[in-house]
Amino acid sequence: MDLENQARIKELAEKHGPENLVVILGGAEAEASGLAAETVSNGDPTYAGPLSGVQLGLPAYHIFEDAIKSLVDPQVYDDQISMMEMVLDVDEIIKEVSTYREQYRKF
Amino acid sequence: MSKFRVVHYINQYFGQIGGEEKANIPPSCKEGPVGPGMAFKAVLGNEAEIVATIICGDSWFAENLDEAKAKVVEMIAQYKPDLVITGPAFNAGRYGTACGAVAEAVSQELEIPVVSGMYPENPGAEMYRRFALIVETGDNAAAMRKAVPAMGKLALKVLKGEQLGTPKEEGYIPRGIRENYFAPDRGSKRAVDMLVAKLKGEEFHTEYPMPQFDRVDPNPAVADISKAKIGLVTSGGIVPKGNPDHIESSSASKFGKYDLDGIVNLTAETHQTAHGGYDPVYANQDADRVLPVDVMRDLEKEGKIGSLHRYYYATVGNGTSVANAKRYAAEIAQELKNDGVDAVILTST
Repeated sequence: MDLENQARIKELAEKHGPENLVVILGGAEAEASGLAAETVSNGDPTYAGPLSGVQLGLPAYHIFEDAIKSLVDPQVYDDQISMMEMVLDVDEIIKEVSTYREQYRKF
Repeated sequence: MSKFRVVHYINQYFGQIGGEEKANIPPSCKEGPVGPGMAFKAVLGNEAEIVATIICGDSWFAENLDEAKAKVVEMIAQYKPDLVITGPAFNAGRYGTACGAVAEAVSQELEIPVVSGMYPENPGAEMYRRFALIVETGDNAAAMRKAVPAMGKLALKVLKGEQLGTPKEEGYIPRGIRENYFAPDRGSKRAVDMLVAKLKGEEFHTEYPMPQFDRVDPNPAVADISKAKIGLVTSGGIVPKGNPDHIESSSASKFGKYDLDGIVNLTAETHQTAHGGYDPVYANQDADRVLPVDVMRDLEKEGKIGSLHRYYYATVGNGTSVANAKRYAAEIAQELKNDGVDAVILTST
């Protein structure tokens, strides 16, 4: 996860309280999505960004996950997301994101 | 017992200063661990601590190599470390090269051991593997999770003076050091065992890994050879009689540049080979067999080629290292280009 986004999430967590935040990911690839989920929960595993050693414990979901998908207007989801859903490895992405989320979430 | 002292070298990105836009910052120093140093802290535990972190922009290091090495070494020396960690650099080329250059300077000038981490194809690994224990890592920063424990473990082993196993056992990139040991089986048996394992499709490990050579794509064809100026370059050791530059018969440490002005034919009276390792009788009888000056003069006369370049270059290929050969080639090629040579004929023994 790039340094600017880490800084933004850190700032939002300080402003609103980590217990009030959920992160929704749109990554196209399992490893990168898992890395992002880990970064916002257990800290940046690459130790490059502002979230190095910072355990916000935020739960992260991928937009493909039913918990999030079911909250979105089906027409909007269809227009914006469903195309990518057809070409990406949805199962692998969800597996990776949920593994890190369940391991490190505090809220 | 007091903790071992470690200094950590990282780039601007892992130093949390910024990405490419900050790659031109000169070296700076911070007390204690920064970035990946925090992960090392957990692995080093109570036995060692990162007392300082040196951060330098990758571009600045690359563009000011000598100054960068000197400054970084000076900063490191102040902290009197027992060991230096550089990186891990994964597959980042400039970062890997900087980590390697720091390792070289630290190990040579301060005589302090260095542990680093790189993807095996990082150019820094090939260039500087002799100067550090470079742990083999994945190719991007996501591999930090595995790289740090492996590097930390190796660093502690070195600090405590424990005997290191082979590169394969310890997970670092071979430094090219050979150590003698007594094998339980003789060579012929080990070779046959390997062959049998190979035929069965089982895993086996060669005792003599082949070096990896790069491949060079041929240049496009010469547009009009009848107008081209052609140079002759040989690794066949053809030199003027008496070998005036004393080019070695094996593992040549230099190349020679010789005048062909007015020469239409090489003879036993004028030229010879300096090359060892093969029967030189026929090359000494008529050196044109290795360096075809006579035929080139014919082609020049017939108008098949534009002209033969006035000078030829020669070295001895026998046992000459690839690194030296590359260096000679680069110098020779530059001179040929400066002299307006269009194409070169390379001959060997």
